[in-house]
Amino acid sequence: MGKVIGIDLGTTLSEVAVMEGGEPVIIPNAEGSRLTPSVVAMSKNGERLVGQIAKRQAITNPENTIYSIKRFMGRKWGEPAGRELPVEEDAHRKTYKVTKGPNNEVRVLMSGKEYSPSEISAMILQKLKQDAEAYLGEKVTEAVITVPAYFNDSQRQATKDAGKIAGLEVLRIINEPTAASLAYGLDKKKDECIAVYDLGGGTFDISVLEIGEGTFQVKSTNGDTHLGGDDFDQCVIDWLCGEFKRDQGIDLGKDRMALQRLKEAAEKAKCELSTVMQTEINLPFITADASGPKHMNITLTRSKLEQLVGDLVDKTIGPCRQALTDAGKTTAQIDEVVLVGGQTRMPLVQQKVKDFFGREPHKGVNPDEVVAMGAAIQGGVLKGEVRDVLLLDVTPLTLGIETLGRVSTPLIERNTTIPTSKSQVFSTAADNQSSVEIHVLQGERPMAADNRTLGRFMLDGILPSPRGTLLKTDLVDIMQAVIDDRLADTEIEWRDEACVGVVLASGGYPESYRKGFPISGLESIDSDVLVFHAGTDHNEKGEIINSGGRVLTVASTGKDYSAARQKVYRNISRISFEGCWYRHDIAIIRNPA
Amino acid sequence: MAEEEKGKVQPEEEQPELGDDGELAEKYLANWKRSQADFANYKKRAEQEKADFVKFANADLISSLLPVMDDFERAMENVPEEGSSEWIEGIELIYRKLMTVLENQGLSKIEAVGQDFDPNFHQAVLHEKGEEGKVIKETQKGYMMHDRLLRPTMVIVGNGESEQGKNKKTNN
Repeated sequence: MGKVIGIDLGTTLSEVAVMEGGEPVIIPNAEGSRLTPSVVAMSKNGERLVGQIAKRQAITNPENTIYSIKRFMGRKWGEPAGRELPVEEDAHRKTYKVTKGPNNEVRVLMSGKEYSPSEISAMILQKLKQDAEAYLGEKVTEAVITVPAYFNDSQRQATKDAGKIAGLEVLRIINEPTAASLAYGLDKKKDECIAVYDLGGGTFDISVLEIGEGTFQVKSTNGDTHLGGDDFDQCVIDWLCGEFKRDQGIDLGKDRMALQRLKEAAEKAKCELSTVMQTEINLPFITADASGPKHMNITLTRSKLEQLVGDLVDKTIGPCRQALTDAGKTTAQIDEVVLVGGQTRMPLVQQKVKDFFGREPHKGVNPDEVVAMGAAIQGGVLKGEVRDVLLLDVTPLTLGIETLGRVSTPLIERNTTIPTSKSQVFSTAADNQSSVEIHVLQGERPMAADNRTLGRFMLDGILPSPRGTLLKTDLVDIMQAVIDDRLADTEIEWRDEACVGVVLASGGYPESYRKGFPISGLESIDSDVLVFHAGTDHNEKGEIINSGGRVLTVASTGKDYSAARQKVYRNISRISFEGCWYRHDIAIIRNPA
Repeated sequence: MAEEEKGKVQPEEEQPELGDDGELAEKYLANWKRSQADFANYKKRAEQEKADFVKFANADLISSLLPVMDDFERAMENVPEEGSSEWIEGIELIYRKLMTVLENQGLSKIEAVGQDFDPNFHQAVLHEKGEEGKVIKETQKGYMMHDRLLRPTMVIVGNGESEQGKNKKTNN
């Protein structure tokens, strides 16, 4: 059974994710990075390079290095431009040759050979596919690929074609904002209106979606194809250059080596300022003049950065407003706001978005990965590998029993995924000890008295033997519920969990325990005990057997537990149920003799 | 007797229900198999990651030290002429000591100048006059951590135009 990969095929960067253990995971590429540049190149000796390696050689081989191919996907020369630049203008900006193919389709030239944008994208997809196969250790043949919400049919078809060329069956093309919403689990919502704010490295997109019956509908999109994190970096670089010029009188803008270092330092500072209030940009020997080497040592505060890029952030609000107008919505009608793209890590961006929409946006740890993750989730859904087929619960508190010295001995640690079972061997504490009191505790404190008592009962009939005789305690699914009937005549609330307990008890339990067993020593706690005990070997479904006056056994066959439950209700409705036993709180006691 | 007969009839009555259960069971089995497979793969990868972790645990730290090494090198390229040579030598020894510590952790420098440009290890920052396809200058050192690239060398690559007639075009 093959895995479906989810691909975020971006303009500058691409990512691939897969469902693993019910959760989406980003797959690192062969170079060890989670992001793969969407760059393809043909080297001088005819070798095809994709990703980071293609990007590294771009400057030596500009005419054979294809980047931003996404801008040409499914587009034609001379067609009216929508959100994007017209093909003519976009083509003009590229260092590679863009030519005209049949039907005015776009073709790009690489090493003298013409390629369609789909073929170039296929090379990127192929690399992602290979990296995914290396990671998963199995063949991958199916994928879900994301596209911008504003992509038209021919752009979507071109993306689908690219998948086909790469040897991938594209199960579905989904919108990037939809994928992001999926990653935040918003598909579970009913009839909501979602705004997806996506500020990446080079583009800004705002989409308004409506969800109903589990499907997303794009109501409107807007944005700016040339606004993103790179512009934020440039603001910082310009400021640093200005500061340096004022201090040292040297213009770094003309020094390419210095600019390279500045660019790195600016981006690093920007990222750091998302978590700290100020950072130091320390670049020794940044340049030199006649008087000797010059150093840059400038402190940048978060508030200064916010002042520098404030205008850029404000520029995103206009499109947001327009998108709302186009969708016929007001900010009050937006139920959820989702942040996508690395630049949304910036606190100022989050604040501005919050101020505009008037609500706290959803933000993950890695906003630049949510699109690929959403695509993987969609893949999982299509394969029936839905996340919540099985909801595994955990025990919120440690379960244990009291042992010698009133110590609480943990048996099942808290946060253990249940169902689980644990057995531990205990021994008697005194010679000829004939009974053991089992005191089941819930809590983290070392002393028994400090924890909550779930129940206590005596285990007797131990044959006289020297102390140290082994006993065994198992904590498993619900098997017994201890009920305190001191309040026998008062009205009680029946905890539904206990009924579930009865239900669960009907299956998967060793034959020998199905018959029920006597528990004595109840005098010590001055209360009766009800043992809800399921047994498939009882003919009477759901019969309550009163055994010995004080111990009750509820028997149920595997199938008809509801009947059993009814009888339980009827018969014990007047007994107080104090223990509130959840199914993982249950102990079963067994005498090894 | 009547009860026995009833007992026999009952399973047949439940037949259609069983059919539904079968489908459900198959679905559960498939999901179970899938999570088993996921887990097996995860375990395999976790083993590999554990092995890698031992080898590359310090890679992040060392990566963040590389800019400091760069600055050290820049400082040494800019030694003022009037400085005390003993003092400068001392600083150089400190640099070498630091480098040795890092090398013992698996760090090694990438050779670049004079070699063929290789995007697997080199990042081209400029394309200038010089022998075609050769690295003519390093602008920032690149490093390997064991067999993994930690940071590519920033290089200037020759574009085939001769520099004062010194170099001629070469092909290999």
